[in-house]
Amino acid sequence: MKPPFSSHNNSHLNRRDFLYGLNASIGAVALNALLSENLGAAGVKPIGAHFPKAKAKHCIFLMMEGGPSHIDTFDPKPRLQDLHLKEFQRNDEMVSAMASGKRYYVKSPFEFQKAGKSGADMNVLWEQLADVADDLCFYRGCQVDSVNHPTAMYQANTGNRFGGDPAIGSWVNYGLGSENQDLPGFIVLPELAHPQGGPANWANGYLPADFQGTPLRPEGSPILDLKPPAGVTTSRQRKNLDLLNVLNTKHAEAHPEHEELKARMTSYELAFRMQMQVPGILDIDKEPQKIRDLYGVDKEPTNSFGRKCLLARKLVEKGVRFVQLYAGTWDSHDYIEKAHGSLIPAVDRPIAALIKDLKERGLLDDTLIVWMGEFGRTPDNGVRGGDTRYGRDHNPKAMTVWMAGGGVKAGHTIGATDEIGGEAVDGVHHIRDFHITLLKLLGLDDNKLTFYHAGRFKQLSQFGGTPIDELIA
Amino acid sequence: MKFSTPIIAACFVFSGLSLSAAEKKSASAKPDKGELLFSLKVKPLMKDKCFACHGEDPEKIKGELNLLTLEDTLKGGETFGEEVLIPGKAKESMLYLTSIREEPDFEMPPKEADMLSEEQTGVIRDWINAGAPWPDDSRVAWVQENYAEGVIVKTSGGLSEDWTGRRYKKEDLWAYQPLKKPVLPAGTKKEQHPVDAFIDAGLKKIELKPAPRATPRELIRRATYDLTGLPPNPSEIEAFLTAYKKDPKKTWSSLIDRLLASPHYGEQWGQHWLDVVRYADSSGFANDYERPNTWRYRDYVIRSFNDDKPYDQFIREQIAGDEIDGSNPEMLIATGFLRMGPWEHTGMSVAKITRQQFLDDITDSVGQVFLAHALQCARCHDHKFDPIPTRDYYAMQACFSTTQFGDREAAWIPGENLAGMDGDKRYHQLRSDTNEAMLKKIQLKLAKNQQRWFDERNLPYKTRKEALKAKAPKKDIPSNRLGFTPNDFGRERIGRKHQNRFKWEFDRYQPIAFSVYSGKTINPKGFQYGRANMPGNPMGKGSLEKTSILGGGSVFSPTIPVDPGVISATPGSEKANIPKQYQGRRKALADWIATPENVLTSRVIANRIWANHFGQGIAGNPNNFGATGKKPTHPELLDWLAVNFSNNKWSFKKFHRLIMTSETYQRSSSYPDPESLKKLDPAHSSFASFIPRRLSAEELRDAMLACSGELNPVLGGIPARPDMNLEAALQPRMIMGTFAPAYVPHPKPEQRNRRSVYTHKTRGQRDPFLDTFNKPGSETSCEMRATSTVTPQVFALFNGEESYDRSLALADKVMKEKLTREKSIARIFQLCFGRNPNPEEQSSCQNHWDELEKMQNASKPEPRIFPTEVIRQAPEENTGENFTFTEILHTYKDYIPDLQPHQVDARTRGLADLCLILFNSNEFVYLY
Repeated sequence: MKPPFSSHNNSHLNRRDFLYGLNASIGAVALNALLSENLGAAGVKPIGAHFPKAKAKHCIFLMMEGGPSHIDTFDPKPRLQDLHLKEFQRNDEMVSAMASGKRYYVKSPFEFQKAGKSGADMNVLWEQLADVADDLCFYRGCQVDSVNHPTAMYQANTGNRFGGDPAIGSWVNYGLGSENQDLPGFIVLPELAHPQGGPANWANGYLPADFQGTPLRPEGSPILDLKPPAGVTTSRQRKNLDLLNVLNTKHAEAHPEHEELKARMTSYELAFRMQMQVPGILDIDKEPQKIRDLYGVDKEPTNSFGRKCLLARKLVEKGVRFVQLYAGTWDSHDYIEKAHGSLIPAVDRPIAALIKDLKERGLLDDTLIVWMGEFGRTPDNGVRGGDTRYGRDHNPKAMTVWMAGGGVKAGHTIGATDEIGGEAVDGVHHIRDFHITLLKLLGLDDNKLTFYHAGRFKQLSQFGGTPIDELIA
Repeated sequence: MKFSTPIIAACFVFSGLSLSAAEKKSASAKPDKGELLFSLKVKPLMKDKCFACHGEDPEKIKGELNLLTLEDTLKGGETFGEEVLIPGKAKESMLYLTSIREEPDFEMPPKEADMLSEEQTGVIRDWINAGAPWPDDSRVAWVQENYAEGVIVKTSGGLSEDWTGRRYKKEDLWAYQPLKKPVLPAGTKKEQHPVDAFIDAGLKKIELKPAPRATPRELIRRATYDLTGLPPNPSEIEAFLTAYKKDPKKTWSSLIDRLLASPHYGEQWGQHWLDVVRYADSSGFANDYERPNTWRYRDYVIRSFNDDKPYDQFIREQIAGDEIDGSNPEMLIATGFLRMGPWEHTGMSVAKITRQQFLDDITDSVGQVFLAHALQCARCHDHKFDPIPTRDYYAMQACFSTTQFGDREAAWIPGENLAGMDGDKRYHQLRSDTNEAMLKKIQLKLAKNQQRWFDERNLPYKTRKEALKAKAPKKDIPSNRLGFTPNDFGRERIGRKHQNRFKWEFDRYQPIAFSVYSGKTINPKGFQYGRANMPGNPMGKGSLEKTSILGGGSVFSPTIPVDPGVISATPGSEKANIPKQYQGRRKALADWIATPENVLTSRVIANRIWANHFGQGIAGNPNNFGATGKKPTHPELLDWLAVNFSNNKWSFKKFHRLIMTSETYQRSSSYPDPESLKKLDPAHSSFASFIPRRLSAEELRDAMLACSGELNPVLGGIPARPDMNLEAALQPRMIMGTFAPAYVPHPKPEQRNRRSVYTHKTRGQRDPFLDTFNKPGSETSCEMRATSTVTPQVFALFNGEESYDRSLALADKVMKEKLTREKSIARIFQLCFGRNPNPEEQSSCQNHWDELEKMQNASKPEPRIFPTEVIRQAPEENTGENFTFTEILHTYKDYIPDLQPHQVDARTRGLADLCLILFNSNEFVYLY
């Protein structure tokens, strides 16, 4: 078997990397100049959509870190009312260390509503999201492999439990390329604290570094070292850059055979422009008050996630291919009533606003919105210290994810969990099939979106799978 | 079986169909072209790629198309009917058209990863054009037996007979061929270096001339970075140039000797090894616990390279040091290799799965590191491309099934760097004490709350403990979080988690080895949050693992039991005698790997060394010598080097010397006729010229420190904590259930400005500077560094404090030498580029300096302020309400910053900008 192109570890192939670097980052003019050169057979151009009819062109991925409880958000389990505090027996092979000691069924402390014409099940705390219930497609059949946060996060984000592989946002950019040369194609809006597993959750893995997710930090410098140290003026830096160019030009003349030099020189000009422009692009304070109110910006508890959702909309508008937002942590082992009870209102308005705003602007049709955590939660819990502390542990066998926008079967709930929410029983698919479905909605065929690495064609789903066509309109 | 009777074919007589295919033939008649193609190529291909969906399982037939027989195939299916196969007309047959993926939406097989090669589709085409004869199974078997090309490899056997009897292309088995020293190519001159003899023979074949020799200035820079990861200093360059004029050969030779004798050699080549074994100072995943003692393994690796430890011994020590001599600390430290992968066991984990993940990790790791085989491919099934049955995977795994984690006592070894431990420990103690005090405060508050609670209820107890002891009814026992505010909840949780970590981290200062022992498997609960103590009797508690082939790789589906063993496809594997008793399995495995007769081992290491010298291997995937890895461009050279390496007592230093004294190594990176080079050697695999490379992340940082004179060149010791971009260092980071402690640099410049190989490597918090310059993550083995050019590199190197600090220090150093303006600039050029500026550069730099000085005169830099605490805020998990936690950064209270702008005059600051420009220049970051 002959690889169609080599792995990118070899220095002589680096040129391709920078062409991509520019593509994925910044600088339209210089980029076009470089791209007009013949890339040759070894070049990695965007693969392009495999399903040209797919509607979604962008994706906003709302990652609810920590594992939101399906039972307390979108998958009510009245049966647990009857079983409340009855002893729970678990006897499969997956008995974890935490299952030792007595465990009890725990009812949901929340009221539920039937929202929209479709009658979607929602915790009543989803006040705003209920308005757009008919835009959502709920899926209750997803299962994952891991009971621990970082490995489950890695699996949700990269398909590989152990990390080290490209994130889904990297794959989508590798497949579709970037629409905006002034911004990275894959932007991550993490919480102030990095999630468990850290930046490997948005890493490019074996794909070229240009497909790496760029985290925009919510406080301080949005990108590390985007600005020069205090006291360095633009004119001083421009002067430095000019002299650097003089030296580099001279050097390049002496090494005509070395093609990387030119690209590295260009990257300095591009970076200089980026540091001037990016802060403006990220500034949401200039948005109209009406819009800021819609998202709940500057009001608690919605300010933090409201800003992210508003920024996500702006980024998608600017052509950023994939934006991933983090909200957390939903890891409510105890006091789920208080914990989920305050987490839901913090994201409810911002998410509903995002959907409404995109719709208003005619962008919802080509934007896929995904809401999920790394796993669901158990119907049972060890009773720890009194009646008020009920929570739920990690559950890889049941969860709720939902999607909205580009091409999803809105107004439907697909799949089901058993009567206590312990395990998915209908429309059950491994998360790899869900990944394949996301790619398909974005026009990409997981089986064709491959990269040759370490002697094998690799893909997001690891080994292939089946799209869940029931989720697609 | 008497006759091969393609009768079915005869029923469908098409024009153009060769009648000979329908003739009855005796079973041993000579097969025609079509029959040969079908029997040897088409049938096996269809079996591999088509039958799963088109025949094998009647339940699963896709598109109603069955390809098992000619009759069914000719019938066609749902979408395509008779056009599926039109004998004689490949270009009209869908069977062919779908295989070349020219039929939109019906590309077959559907998975891109299964795509047929041009050769494979060509076979289908030719067979159809030959009339599509379809002999029956017995005839196929006979033809295969008598005419099959390719090689059957004897292995321990696959799960199916088909797999066991399958044939491999000879070229895919190159790495399993017996290893003997090849003769030098015909026409090799007597005085010719053997490396050049092979390389030049290759060049001759493609009619390409080698590049001329690099300039002596390029040579000393190339060799110094290559062997030490540092730039040569100006006086070394001058001395070399002078001597080189007189006697190039001898001067070059003694340069190599000097560099190999430098202790920095072990740091540089140790780093290459640490990349391959995924070295890190933490465990990764949810808790990302510190591994307080892995630094001793890092130093062991560096020491081994510096001592020129024979590679066979290096292998044995890392795989089985504890079994070789458990009383020797060095041997225990060496086995840290076995535990380098990320690992965790949390409250949610299932012990059996945790254990299996370790076994899978180490099996694959040993395969990749020593044998260049990604064995994980054979975890769930017999290997798709290589002669590795899944049985071998589990046989190898059985070598480790009695391997257990042990953090074992191992006395300090003379030469281990223990300096700085006391200071480090003091800060750790402070951190730990502060945490204890916080916990105590919360406990006191809780006690008060509980007492009040008892008083309000007129209960006779003072504490919860008392009430519990008195077996009070449940209603009379208060919560052990009574009256907690969100702050109390959050802080108590952080306190507990940190208490755990901090306690364990005191092990850093103890003579403990991150090691293993052989024995029974015990529940990992005992060491999930702390030191893995070795039980007094390793065969006491626990269970003795028996290894079986795991169905689908699942630990819950054991099938056939296997004994410990090795890769059966390698010649001499039968000599590997792995004991079944619990001890000595690894030792025997190591012996098998480390023998010169093992055809993989010496080829793999020779290729790794070559790859690091030249930026590309002879075989292009140093971790994959299987069918899917890149084939060696100079197989005979690789064999010659491999044999030479083991013959020379597996000496790395002799090997470097051999390679570096070749003309091939000394060739210029400029090729006089670049067009021919591009045309004749587009992949740069001829080694006609030296391939330039960018400095690695570590080289870049270390080189700046070396130029500025700040580098503390001391070897080894506990991990150094240099400055990290402050925002990244204080970036809150989630670990299981709470925040990780902040990254705080060491207080003194000489502690921070160490070589990058010694910096603290936390899996979940990577240094953004090193990260952006392609330092690999430590989840998977890195066979070769990648280099890509991305804009964050510009931000890090042009805007970051790290490079500015180095620039300022370099400027200050040169200013202190009190040279003329001209000579100051020349001095900076010498330090950074190893040469003098030309007049043009001299004048533009001088003007720049003057201008910058003017600008600097107008600015008044302020002293930088460093944080002595950091406040964390987050929603508390139990209550959903926000809590805050203040972490005291004790080290920063004594922090001595590197030289700062306000401490020097405008002239120095102006010069610093010039230094920064040089550090950013292409001449500085590329090596020719």
